[in-house]
Amino acid sequence: MRKETKEYKFDWMLWNTFAAASRLKSGTQKEYQAMLKYIPYFNRIVDTLLGTGEPGQKFIEICSKYMENLTFAKERGKKTAITTFCFSPSIFYAMDIVPICLEVLSVMMTFIYKRGTAEFMDYCNEVGFTETSCSSQRGTSGAYLAGIGADIDMFVTDTPGVCDTNANSFAFASAYLNKPFFQLDMPPDLTGERSSEYHREDFKALIRFLEAQTGKKLDPERLRENLRELARQDEIIAELEDLARMVPNPLPISYNLMVYASRFLFAGMPECTGVLESMLKIARENAAKNISGLSGGVEKLRAFFCYIDHYAQNMQLWQMLDGNGICYQGNILSHFWSHNAPHVAEYHKEEAAYNIDMTDMDSLIDSVGIINSRMPMIKSIRGPYDAPNMWLEDTLGLAKMYKADLIVYNGTPGCRNTWGMVKLLARDTEKAGYPTYIMYADAFDERVQSWETTEERFMEFLKVRRLV
Amino acid sequence: MFAAGCDVGSLTSKAVIMKGGKIIESVIIKSKARPWESADEVMGMALSRAGLTMTDIKRCVGTGYGRDKISFIHEAVSEIACHGKGARWLVPSVRTVIDIGGQDCKALRLDDKGNMMKFITNDKCASGTGRFLEVMAKVLNLSLDELGEMSARSKQPITFASACTVWAQADVIQHLNDKVPIEDIAAGVNNAMASRMSTLACNIGLEKDVCMTGGVAKNNGVVNALEKHLGIRIKRIHREDPQLAGAIGAALFAAEKANGGVI
Amino acid sequence: MMKDFFEASTALNNKYVTQWKKNGKKVVGYTCSYVPDEIFHAAGILPFRIRGFGATDTTIGDTYFGPFICSLPKCMLQLAGEGKLNFLDGAIITPGCDSMRRLDECWRKAGSDVGGVIPPFFFHYGVPHKYSDYTIKWLTEETRRLITAVEEHFCVKITSDDLKKAIKLYNYSRKLLDRFEELRTLDAPPFSGEEALAVILAGTTMPREEYNVLLEQFIAKADKAPGIKNRVRLMLVGSANDDVGLVRVMEGEKAIVVADNLCFGSRFYSDQVEEEGDPVFELSRRYLGHNDCPRMYGDYRRRLNILAQKVEKAKIDGVILQNIRFCDLHGSENGLFERDLEGKGIPCMRLEREYGPLVETGRMKMRVDTFIERIQQRRAIA
Repeated sequence: MRKETKEYKFDWMLWNTFAAASRLKSGTQKEYQAMLKYIPYFNRIVDTLLGTGEPGQKFIEICSKYMENLTFAKERGKKTAITTFCFSPSIFYAMDIVPICLEVLSVMMTFIYKRGTAEFMDYCNEVGFTETSCSSQRGTSGAYLAGIGADIDMFVTDTPGVCDTNANSFAFASAYLNKPFFQLDMPPDLTGERSSEYHREDFKALIRFLEAQTGKKLDPERLRENLRELARQDEIIAELEDLARMVPNPLPISYNLMVYASRFLFAGMPECTGVLESMLKIARENAAKNISGLSGGVEKLRAFFCYIDHYAQNMQLWQMLDGNGICYQGNILSHFWSHNAPHVAEYHKEEAAYNIDMTDMDSLIDSVGIINSRMPMIKSIRGPYDAPNMWLEDTLGLAKMYKADLIVYNGTPGCRNTWGMVKLLARDTEKAGYPTYIMYADAFDERVQSWETTEERFMEFLKVRRLV
Repeated sequence: MFAAGCDVGSLTSKAVIMKGGKIIESVIIKSKARPWESADEVMGMALSRAGLTMTDIKRCVGTGYGRDKISFIHEAVSEIACHGKGARWLVPSVRTVIDIGGQDCKALRLDDKGNMMKFITNDKCASGTGRFLEVMAKVLNLSLDELGEMSARSKQPITFASACTVWAQADVIQHLNDKVPIEDIAAGVNNAMASRMSTLACNIGLEKDVCMTGGVAKNNGVVNALEKHLGIRIKRIHREDPQLAGAIGAALFAAEKANGGVI
Repeated sequence: MMKDFFEASTALNNKYVTQWKKNGKKVVGYTCSYVPDEIFHAAGILPFRIRGFGATDTTIGDTYFGPFICSLPKCMLQLAGEGKLNFLDGAIITPGCDSMRRLDECWRKAGSDVGGVIPPFFFHYGVPHKYSDYTIKWLTEETRRLITAVEEHFCVKITSDDLKKAIKLYNYSRKLLDRFEELRTLDAPPFSGEEALAVILAGTTMPREEYNVLLEQFIAKADKAPGIKNRVRLMLVGSANDDVGLVRVMEGEKAIVVADNLCFGSRFYSDQVEEEGDPVFELSRRYLGHNDCPRMYGDYRRRLNILAQKVEKAKIDGVILQNIRFCDLHGSENGLFERDLEGKGIPCMRLEREYGPLVETGRMKMRVDTFIERIQQRRAIA
């Protein structure tokens, strides 16, 4: 790692970056334009987000807030927990634990740093971690392993049974730093009494673990408060998802990212709700006028990303889609499977969704347990891809609901579980009539395939399949 | 008493003849298809230049990928051990050796007595090896020496998107088409190499003094960039050609054994 | 006798399997050491550990699996796709790791593309990733589900008594293999690591009764053998290895592998199943609790202690920490083992390799030779 990288705590730097970005619009437009010249590596992302108006402003503010929380956690007497994006942070907030979501921090750095998280990824390799593991964890994990971030008190994940490389990176980091570790284990079946009981017992064990780490008992009222807010967020997301079904889609291109990022950071907290409410206002306005959310105003194609996005610097994926009139119809990350979600109604898969029951402690625990087990990926990548409630069913259902013209798979070379069967998925989705494009890039590491090449190949696919 | 070392690599073969701890003669040639032919030729040349025959050599140690096929050696020793030994002779204070050869790269740590403590190698792909530089030099129409010198002239080295030799080649062509100055591309190539190597080196932990052996040690661009990445000074080898480290180490092992010492 | 072991460990459809099938009996393959063999034995079915050994390329494997997948399940699928696993009447897939669990859908897809390459009985056996009361409960229920499925498909009845008998028989094997492992720790081990692997592998391919007889004979002979002296003593740790040739390359002339922590090694036979109580529960408890695999996340310290104890018991000079490329579980844990074992003064060497045809012998030998030289250097100084 270069000497200068080790000079500052990286998360403190991220906090400062977002805090400064949140103040960009507080001056005149001329001052704003002048400032953009000083941030050549992320001025477009800032402009794209702030260009959405209030939602983008609020989104940047909550990113800043998140980083502030973890930077000052120790000073404020709070415990920190390194966790993953597919672990709902509701339980952490209910217990005053500050969550540190590895993958979201990796996304942030990949978006805004010239070299992305390359140095941190390489550092993981230096200390013995495999370089073939997923870049989404490595990008941030490396910084914490090098000791240039906030103090970490524990590691908590829920990916065993869903994503080995994720679970393994947590297990490695916790063993390396000698910190407590807890895993929520996921059985291959989503539904059924056995699975429900398993989720329940496992979540109870998690609570016991967290209580032991914090020395405090879980206060059911705090959890209720969070889940009430979560339910409100679910309603807003459901309406946004419903609006996204319109042709043209009235949601601006960056909305999907803001939905899932806000939820991963602040599930059940007013910070997330604020961003969502703001987005909904504009989405409703656009829908009333029947206009496209794309900046060009003309929707030429509707693309459904069946896995994750590509986080090339400066949101280049979104720039590419927006610039080419390709409407982004969502991905696996923004669907949380609340009972009132439109895709639940579409599939009539009540058992696959969650309801929130706040009657007593047992029902509260059941609710958070089931919410967690329906998180993106946790729900649909756990069993064979073609089993009921699993990835194929979800992909085809969502692609149909959103009237997608094509399906795009993008991930990372470290994603053992999807690379284990994505060819099979693509065969089935093609058979179902959806041109399917498998991207061989790394969402978090341009050294694998440059963005220029990635974009070129994507456009080539569209041409060859006569989609443009 | 003469001792000799013969290092048969996939790209180059080296022979060293020593007496009394000093090098009498050394030769580097391009390897032939068959390792025993390379060994015969390079050792033949060294002996001829020294005015000696094989019978004058008390003990000869072979190393490198082709070591088991050399007919005239008394013993084969791994090239990693030989590189460590040779590096120690070249830089007596060395504790960390970074060797980048034609087809592989390695890093090793020595204890204060010069014994090998840890090593790591990476030859699963061309990036991080001399082959990467060879391919890039060819695309840029430069010699390897010229490639090394370019970094000093560059004002704005490009950053390579890919660690892969094949993709990087495509990137170089793209940059040439875009009329990016050759020195900036060349510097980018050297930096990419250094970056790849630094991860490997850090894996075994760095301890001063650090030196580089192998052909790539002659590329100042890579060496300077590696210093920056590692944050530690790399001691340059002036005593002999750093590419000879393996053969020197082999000759030293031969001399030790011939004198009744232990390896 | 060694010939029998080698034949059983290297030939896919070996003479035991051929005879078994000739007698009209069934064979069920399984991919992971978490599957309780005893179930099948109790049902009169031969449990057969599926391996990829013998695959000469992965063209079929690559057709279904994506590029960034380890070669182990690819080679297994390759053999299946070539029809070489057609002697199986059933297959059990487990979530041993993500790559291995995707063998389920890849094999099924291959089966729908090419008739006959997927056995008629195909079962996904969900094994938890941690050890606690509710996970043992889950596995117990999952095992009962497996038993029911086997009974229904193969029209057999597996009683508690049948299971208890099978457990007793397998426990006896485990006792013999414990003695076998002890012999390896002697100052002059009576057999090489290559031979040891052949003996262990053979047990995964033949009827248990016959295996026990061969084992007894082997141990009796080994007890009297003069032993192999003056070699550098190595322990082999990491990803699955079922290729005796790999161990041969590592041992060469100068070393001997006297201990391991491998899936096709000591992990396969360590620890007895409790013979009293509910056999299904006891099987689940033993199989879940005594398999030292990095898939059991958060258990690193315990595995490190096991390795440290083995190093001491077998008087290990050096540990080879190998992993198959893309095996992140073993690959990363090897990084931790290296740090901590070296910290205790135990020389370690990490080695990344491919699973499949043994083609990188030159590269591997060079590294192992260097490692051995390092150990010999240490000895000379000490």
